[in-house]
Amino acid sequence: MAVGAGILRVPKEAKKGEVVRVQMVITHPMSPPRKDPATGQEVPPHTLTKLELFYNNRLVSTVNMGAGISANPFMAIALKVEESGVVRIAYEDNKGGKWDRTAEIKVT
Amino acid sequence: MDRRTFIALSAVAVMGLTLAPTLQPAFGSTPRLEEELQKRLGVRLAQIKEVGEVKLTAPTIAESGANVPITVESDIPIDRVEHLWVFVDKNPVPWIADVKLTPMNGQVYFSTRIKMGETSNVRAILKLKDGSYVMATKEVKVTAGGCG
Repeated sequence: MAVGAGILRVPKEAKKGEVVRVQMVITHPMSPPRKDPATGQEVPPHTLTKLELFYNNRLVSTVNMGAGISANPFMAIALKVEESGVVRIAYEDNKGGKWDRTAEIKVT
Repeated sequence: MDRRTFIALSAVAVMGLTLAPTLQPAFGSTPRLEEELQKRLGVRLAQIKEVGEVKLTAPTIAESGANVPITVESDIPIDRVEHLWVFVDKNPVPWIADVKLTPMNGQVYFSTRIKMGETSNVRAILKLKDGSYVMATKEVKVTAGGCG
């Protein structure tokens, strides 16, 4: 998968006021800055830096991260749903890449 | 030395032994961690209280340091919590991630997978609305490091 590709998973249905888990997996190397053992040159880091979680366009959480997160980051965050809506994650890396994913929750 | 001075001296010695461990930095923090805490939170580790309401789930022994699953949960109501941090004491960069929380989260819950260079303490720190910090600490033994 290409860098930045992501899977966002939420329950399809939830009860009003229920706290659900928003789970995501993003394809990304998350490499720290280091020296290339062959050439001795500095290799700059390549990591995700920020991820924002929105629900119906309202900002729920902001995650800041660095190279301490494993490659192909998995994350799960709680979200309380009061009405049906769209979950959106928007994330970016230190090389200017920007992506987003959406998923829907139906509140019954 | 008569008996009186001997007793007085041994009392002092015993007191010194019992008090000495409390004078050391809490849970063997590292200079790198202290620096990072000062930079990001503006507090020292000794000012952060370890409480049972913060729950940090992590393996006791991780086979690979490249992929250590951790989960931070708390019973503290979400509207009293502002921010969450994850630190690993002995990593080259102790700061792993931080999460800004809002009441819309409904619950303090954050789960991810982290890298660990060597056996170290993992810390989950919460900042509460009243400005205080609370945390949970767990030691994870790493058999193969996952940094660099």
